[in-house]
Amino acid sequence: MPVTEKKKLDLDRKEIPKQLPEVRKHNFNEVALGYSAETAVAEAKRCIKCPKPKCVGNCPVEINIPGFIDAIAEKDFDKGIKILKQKNCLPAICGRVCPQEEQCEETCILQRKNGQIAIGRLERFLADWEATQGELKVPELPKSTGKKVAVIGGGPAGLTVAGDLIQLGHQVTIFEALHEMGGVLIYGIPEFRLPKAIVKREVDYLNKLGVNLVTNYVVGKTKTIDSLLEEYNAIFVGSGAGLPWFMNIPGENLNGVYSANEYLTRLNLMKGFLFPEYHTPVKNHKKVAVVGGGNVAMDCARSALRLGAESRIVYRRSREEMPARLEEIENAEEEGVIFDLLTLPLRYIGDENGWVKEMEIQKMELGEPDDSGRRRPVPIAGSEKIVPVDAVICAIGNSPNPLIAKTTPGLTIGKRGNIEADEETGKTSRDRIWAGGDVVTGAATVILAMGAGRKAARSIHEYLCSL
Amino acid sequence: MKFESVDEILDFAIGKEEEAAQFYIDLARKMAPPNMKEVFEEFAQEEKKHKEKLLLVKGGKKVLLTREKVMDLKIGDTLLAVDTTIDVSDITYQEALIIAMKAEKAAFKLYHDLAKTTKDSELKNLFLSLAQEEAKHKLRFEIEYDDNILIEG
Repeated sequence: MPVTEKKKLDLDRKEIPKQLPEVRKHNFNEVALGYSAETAVAEAKRCIKCPKPKCVGNCPVEINIPGFIDAIAEKDFDKGIKILKQKNCLPAICGRVCPQEEQCEETCILQRKNGQIAIGRLERFLADWEATQGELKVPELPKSTGKKVAVIGGGPAGLTVAGDLIQLGHQVTIFEALHEMGGVLIYGIPEFRLPKAIVKREVDYLNKLGVNLVTNYVVGKTKTIDSLLEEYNAIFVGSGAGLPWFMNIPGENLNGVYSANEYLTRLNLMKGFLFPEYHTPVKNHKKVAVVGGGNVAMDCARSALRLGAESRIVYRRSREEMPARLEEIENAEEEGVIFDLLTLPLRYIGDENGWVKEMEIQKMELGEPDDSGRRRPVPIAGSEKIVPVDAVICAIGNSPNPLIAKTTPGLTIGKRGNIEADEETGKTSRDRIWAGGDVVTGAATVILAMGAGRKAARSIHEYLCSL
Repeated sequence: MKFESVDEILDFAIGKEEEAAQFYIDLARKMAPPNMKEVFEEFAQEEKKHKEKLLLVKGGKKVLLTREKVMDLKIGDTLLAVDTTIDVSDITYQEALIIAMKAEKAAFKLYHDLAKTTKDSELKNLFLSLAQEEAKHKLRFEIEYDDNILIEG
């Protein structure tokens, strides 16, 4: 390439346009606006096409990343989305909520030069481009095998299993406890990070492929797994981690103290922010404290802000240790969420009507490294103080709902209530029952749940073919 | 409580470890889910190991260090106690760890307080050593709680 032309190349990672913080903190619309075709092509052209690309190995569902990036660089978006969908049936979702910086993008060789290739943004671009091309195209499916699979839970793991198995000719039914498919994608992740229309589009696609979708069906109540096994050849449990944890400190039963699950479900699934258009309101709090430091905590704090509250994160470790994606921490900071780091809630104090009005907090400091080298937070004596709040959202973690564990004899359950399943196959201790996603790992990421779903689908397919 | 000799104190401490093991065995029996039964059986095993260690000390085969610094994360201090006198059949792992942290803290406090009751330096040092042992046991549960419950994700 001539030197003069080389100088003109812009090798920097392309930023994604966003709504301005001052604007977006007052609405629930999506924050990141996506690449234009021109930007996507420019970003794709930065890829240096490594002979042994490390990005693929770091993707839990092993997407042919160089393949779809190359197609974008060639402006063949149709080819790109086809390559992407060979391994990922939910690209519009993964492009938005996957922690790419810890996975595919982490190993990009350009990381140390002009910034790693924006794989997630390109993935999102292709999926969004496809949505503008009219009806989603349904591939030709193989002849039905006549084998039936029940998938419990319509979240990312279940949707992946269903998408993979239907394309292998099996009959698949998803049983979802809520009135909408999508699991955490619908009830957990807010509209401003993942518009629900996108989830619905991906679910509709599965429906078009022939997946039978059953909502308002609580396995363990409506029917047990053992009854379903009388009708189905195999069962995949992907029922997620819907049981919220609390800290077990005084005052957690006061009104105005929510679990993150409840708060987000009220907003995202029940559309509380659109009351009275939707019938389940959410209280407009003035001073909201969100306890925790993960993505769920950021989602809660940013949602509270959008509802007009002064919103703060209360986190007992330092910023560096926050499990949330850096992008989400930065978004929250830009929007004006207050961060009380190295701070521990001790108790919540109520008013005469049983509503939370204050919380007692204590400052922490990082102690000496322990045997594992980790510096753990320890309280600073005498640093206790009382601050006013009218809502507290507890976002410290979740474990699986115990319903399936209690109603399925012989299923091995771990200490934290998780179903124990083989990491490579998703097989559980019971014949014909597989499991994957948060119900196995505890609350984790969408893509890890999808990866577990993919492995389980492979194993279920092998089993069904052996019958 | 009044103790006249090192052996008397060690016998008392060994008895306390036996009581603790029995407490967890009883809880394990009350658990409905097998996973929690296993958790309390593990806790009971740990108490039995503590007892074995004290037996070695009594037999002169092991020495307890008095001034070993043990980190105190104070995690259990601010948490509500779990009432084990009511139906605990569906207790969670979080609650199990709270029970254990509180029990170890109580044992630490007991020995710490007993150390104040004697002027005999040998006995005082032994009580303080036993308190440090309990602090170590508590730290083991605090770290487990910090790593597995306070994920804050």
